[in-house]
Amino acid sequence: MTSNPHQQITTHLLTTKSLPVSPTWLTTFLASTTTSRTIPLSALTQTALFRILTSDIRDSLSTTNPSTLLPVDIFDPTIQERRLNGPIPLQVLDIEDIGTSLWSQVEAIERVERGEAIRGREIVRTVNVGEDSEAAAAENNNNNAAGGDGGGDSNGPHRLILQDAAGTRAVGVEFARVNGIGLGKLAIGAKVVVRDVTVARGLVVLTPESCVVLGGKIEGLDVQWREGRKERLLGRINGGM
Amino acid sequence: MTTQRVLCVAEKPAIAKAVAQHLSGGSFQTIAIRGNQYVKNYVFDFNFGGPWGTCSVTMTSVIGHLTGLDFERQYRTWLSCPPSALFEAPVHESVADDKVAIAKNIQEQARRCKALFIWTDCDREGEHIGTEIRKQAKEGNARIVIKRARFSNTEKAHVLHAARSLIELDDLQANAVAARIELDLRIGAAFTRLQTLQLKPLSAALQDTIISYGSCQFPTLGFVVDRYLRVKNFKPETFWGIKVMHTRDDIKVNFLWKRVHLFDRAAVTVMLERCLMAKKAKVTKVTQKPTSKWRPLPLTTVDLQMMGSRYLRMDSQTIMKVAEALYTKGFISYPRTETDQFDKGIDLKKLVEKQLPDGNWGQYARHLLDGAFKTPRSGRHNDQAHPPIHPICWVAPTALTADEKKVYEFVVRRFLACCSEDAKGQSTEVEIQYGDEFFHAKGLLVLERNYLDVYVYDKWESSQQLPNFQMGEMFEPTEAKIFDGKTTPPNYLTEPELIGLMDANGIGTDATMAEHIAKIKERQYVAVHSRGSGRNAVKELIPTRLGIALVEGYDNVFAGIPDSPSLSKPFLRKEMELRMREICAGRRTRQQVVQESLDMYREVFVHTQRRINRLKDACRKYLNEQETS
Repeated sequence: MTSNPHQQITTHLLTTKSLPVSPTWLTTFLASTTTSRTIPLSALTQTALFRILTSDIRDSLSTTNPSTLLPVDIFDPTIQERRLNGPIPLQVLDIEDIGTSLWSQVEAIERVERGEAIRGREIVRTVNVGEDSEAAAAENNNNNAAGGDGGGDSNGPHRLILQDAAGTRAVGVEFARVNGIGLGKLAIGAKVVVRDVTVARGLVVLTPESCVVLGGKIEGLDVQWREGRKERLLGRINGGM
Repeated sequence: MTTQRVLCVAEKPAIAKAVAQHLSGGSFQTIAIRGNQYVKNYVFDFNFGGPWGTCSVTMTSVIGHLTGLDFERQYRTWLSCPPSALFEAPVHESVADDKVAIAKNIQEQARRCKALFIWTDCDREGEHIGTEIRKQAKEGNARIVIKRARFSNTEKAHVLHAARSLIELDDLQANAVAARIELDLRIGAAFTRLQTLQLKPLSAALQDTIISYGSCQFPTLGFVVDRYLRVKNFKPETFWGIKVMHTRDDIKVNFLWKRVHLFDRAAVTVMLERCLMAKKAKVTKVTQKPTSKWRPLPLTTVDLQMMGSRYLRMDSQTIMKVAEALYTKGFISYPRTETDQFDKGIDLKKLVEKQLPDGNWGQYARHLLDGAFKTPRSGRHNDQAHPPIHPICWVAPTALTADEKKVYEFVVRRFLACCSEDAKGQSTEVEIQYGDEFFHAKGLLVLERNYLDVYVYDKWESSQQLPNFQMGEMFEPTEAKIFDGKTTPPNYLTEPELIGLMDANGIGTDATMAEHIAKIKERQYVAVHSRGSGRNAVKELIPTRLGIALVEGYDNVFAGIPDSPSLSKPFLRKEMELRMREICAGRRTRQQVVQESLDMYREVFVHTQRRINRLKDACRKYLNEQETS
């Protein structure tokens, strides 16, 4: 069975991940990987998936099928409730914990900056003294990623700004806890897929039944978002909400 | 066989007298000593049993530490050397001027005695004082035999038992104290001189003050400043929530939102709308279960200070002084303990029985003895030296001062509460799902108060009773609406909270925490303010401008140095405290620990010197602002 990798990858990603890959993007991708013909198709598909997860879906996904896109009037607050069948792949542009005050999030960030964490009443140093700085830095990164108090983990619920392949944006709120959504867990540019999802007054109602997190991130956006987070929080506090 | 002569030395005159009274059965001869009006020698006979038999005893005491550590004369004045030299400058131990007569008394008595029995308090400091006494006795009589009595209260049977089961002095604990004394001297003097000399010229307000540094003082101050800044920097924010109320059987039941509140109005509005769209709520959980409020754990020093300053309106230092006095008079057990479990051997019922004569809780004690007695809960701490704080005997309230009465009453009530049954009640919880949201209501019915009857400090009261709800039942709530509110800043730190922070972060020991707090007040780094009035007044600790300047200054000095936490943080001191424990456990020597800790602080000292301008800037910022305003 001589294969058309283009066709096979497209079908595979659509059926298993609900990702309608853009033909042009895929062609470019395949052209860049043809140096070694011996790569098995499954590995190639995995690579393609990985690339899509770290790409901007406005480049990598197709916009031809309207059912994989948000309606352009999604934000309309006069519509009490509607349902989108999807599945619609989206990328995360912003995430916020709306269960925690902005100020306590700022305090948590400052504790991390000082190399401290709080365990009950005890203040704990998270900077490793005496170890070479590289190991200490790795440890710190771990701490941040794993959560702890360092603003990595968050209680939620979370509010997300989501974007589809055509660039339409929508606000999603975690009405029930969704696995993979959290300040330290979900990177900016991460991909999610929603299906049979309710939109109420312009808010996408995210629940574990209607939303699956595929993961990934857009490196540049994520770094920028993280670096600016404290400033943004402070700006919003001082701006009087 | 001639009777042997034995010298006994206690830590304080009152203990010497109490022990002499018990050992002699009340008849002893009192002899004044030359040069000190407080210390007396009590002479009597006592049978120590075992190898000692009946001895002719001289019981005397010291008054706390006999000796002090100081630098050699040429290093003692402020400008005699660069402050950094104090990390290495030679030090020596000598008998303090006002203790010379006491030391001499011990030497003279030792000359005539075969053995020395040490009766200092059984804690680390007491062990060290024991070695000081031993040193003086050996000067008088190099061949004197040394033993130690282990006791934790001055109740008669206990003292007699201690006298007949003598042990050895624990040099490891004494070494830990010696290490601590040397470190406190060197580090304290070096930093105090550095910062006083550097900061004094900055402001007229500092002309006549010593800006002292202590490795416990500063982290203690750090906690106060940290909280103060959190309060000052706090920014209030609006939140929104959903309130559901349902009237049934004429009872208004308020259901609380599982999410409590959120900081996004649009999201809350949509959530409420989706509740209303659903019309009916469904009962998803109805639980009715027995619940209890646990009686307190046996009393430790930290708990005494925390609870005491919360309920008795006394500061921790006063509480400890009063407890100390009650201990010395034999009314309560030794008040410095970390242990929150009673030893199996202790006869608790007998202690309860002693409280029968009391007009307030005597009946409660009777009720315990009549069958309500329960073995106390056990905590997880045991310092292997002292039992939890408990009453030793009953004392008529008329024999006590007002403060003593309060502390004694607290100790007794706490003890009786420990020996009581938990309070019992029944809790009801109803959970409903309304739209996508969950709400719940809780009811509590207190059935048996038990320990609460005597432990008046705890509150646990029945709430409104819930009407009947059936599992799975659907109903339309009477009302559902949005409410809003604002976040509020934390309160300024109170003394019980500060003690809790010090305890959790290893700053000081239960014996010294109150002193450190008193010290930062005395140095005017913090002030005490009252919030509220009358019986509800709460005393809060607020840093002075100098206090804030010092913390901010040191934080700036260490900003950006990853391996050097600021002196206002607890980390360095905590490490030192852990090393003290290692000396006690015999895992490290005194010399090792002193050297390591000095190296650690010397590095910090060098940083401070190098960046002293940052400290100065902070002081200018706060102190000059004060002058112009």
